[in-house]
Amino acid sequence: MTEAGKLYIRGLNKKFNVDAKEISVLEAINLTVERGEFVSIIGTSGCGKTTLLKLIVGLGGSYEGDIILNGKRVDGPGLDRGIVFQDHRLLPWLTVSENIGFGLDAKIKKAERQEIIRKHIQLIGLRGFEKAYPYQLSGGMAQRAAIARSLVNRPAILMLDEPLGALDALTRMYMQRELEKIWKEERIAMIMVTHDVEEAIYLADKVVVMSSRPGKINKVIPIPLARPRDRDSYEFIRIKDEILKEFHLEAEKYFSYSI
Amino acid sequence: MASRKKFIWGDLLAGLLLPLGLLVLWQVISCAGWVNASILPSPVKVLKVIEDSLADGFLLKNLLISFNRVIRGFLFGSGIGFVMGTWMGLSKTAEKALGPFFHAVRNVPLVGWVPLFIIWFGFGEFSQVVFISVGAFYPVVLNTLQGIRGVRREYVELGRVFGFSRLKVFTKIILPAAVPSVFTGVRLSLSTSWMLVVAAELFGVSTGGVGNMMMDAREFFKMDIVIMGILTIGAVGFIMNQLLAAIEGHFLSWKRRTA
Repeated sequence: MTEAGKLYIRGLNKKFNVDAKEISVLEAINLTVERGEFVSIIGTSGCGKTTLLKLIVGLGGSYEGDIILNGKRVDGPGLDRGIVFQDHRLLPWLTVSENIGFGLDAKIKKAERQEIIRKHIQLIGLRGFEKAYPYQLSGGMAQRAAIARSLVNRPAILMLDEPLGALDALTRMYMQRELEKIWKEERIAMIMVTHDVEEAIYLADKVVVMSSRPGKINKVIPIPLARPRDRDSYEFIRIKDEILKEFHLEAEKYFSYSI
Repeated sequence: MASRKKFIWGDLLAGLLLPLGLLVLWQVISCAGWVNASILPSPVKVLKVIEDSLADGFLLKNLLISFNRVIRGFLFGSGIGFVMGTWMGLSKTAEKALGPFFHAVRNVPLVGWVPLFIIWFGFGEFSQVVFISVGAFYPVVLNTLQGIRGVRREYVELGRVFGFSRLKVFTKIILPAAVPSVFTGVRLSLSTSWMLVVAAELFGVSTGGVGNMMMDAREFFKMDIVIMGILTIGAVGFIMNQLLAAIEGHFLSWKRRTA
């Protein structure tokens, strides 16, 4: 079936009521995410990126238009979709493995649960930390545990809401590689919201550029580069510049003429 | 963690300085005969009474009778307190309806209830247990309410992502997150109950218990038993608090770093 794992967003509008006034947050959003595709969404604060993710997850309430996953209109949360928040949101009273197993489908039997948890701890490289509590983890480790927690139900699509935003620059680059590895192994679609243009290009098959008030999709830029990507390659930098241009932040051009 | 558990002899010594000093002073006063021995018996005499009362089970018997009242009053009061605190915490409507009445009634000092309870419930056992439970009730209501209100919305949202039912959100997220606060309430409630049982035995008519033991001793001018009673009340209260602190430290270790 071609529809399996595919996400369609067609004519999506979302309005909020603020002080009895209707404010349009998202307008005329059209987006297709292929099965197993990695999509980055980039845009200034307040462009409705997070709202868009929440709508796809099913936490955003009612909306106009269609969000269709696996041929079904999204109407509330479901285990076919997962989300990783910027704050890891691990529950402080549970250990790493308890946190990872926290949202696991209640229908799954105990032995199988243990096996799934074990596999995911392996996947995110946290072996030996199964019994640790969140306060004992570094920011990067906590976020990896949160990623594992969102993967245990094998969702068709995973939303990442600035998952690396709270990490320091070095940890962040390391985590980008980890994320790419996880994405390759799990073969699920991911939609990541980020402020970081380089991060967006490094990970995505296509980058969605959004503008704000109301949130609209300005441009969808495919990233045809081979993985793992070289941040210093000519093509990488050219794409980065193309995206920055959307925000009127492109690099000054004098070097291009000095060859 | 290691530094927390380290036992410091110097601190213990400093803490013992005042009680030991008083003990010496007390003994000196008694030996010098400055005070009538029937008003202030010597420490040695009190120690002898404690020894005898422990040996023949007199003290233990009275302690158990008091404990029995404490447990009943505490369970009743804190149980209702927990239910009411939870209800008010979960429902704004419940808080609006119950809150003002609760806060108004809370301003009546506990002894203010005594005349009413005597008329309604008599001087006996039941009246005393009700008195204790009123005291046990307040700290649990307040701390449970505060604990439930303090649960991060993000955690609740996490439950929604995994499609938890309202009951499951309550048992798996709200309740565990509120436990530290509830525990604080329970601790306060139990120590209040212990203080109130003595007061209840002083105003009421019942047999047995540390308070009654002291009242009876006063009738016969046995000041050594009265002093033993005071020491017992203090010691039990102290031990109870230490015990609960230890339990809290053991089960809520995750709280230390995440407060």
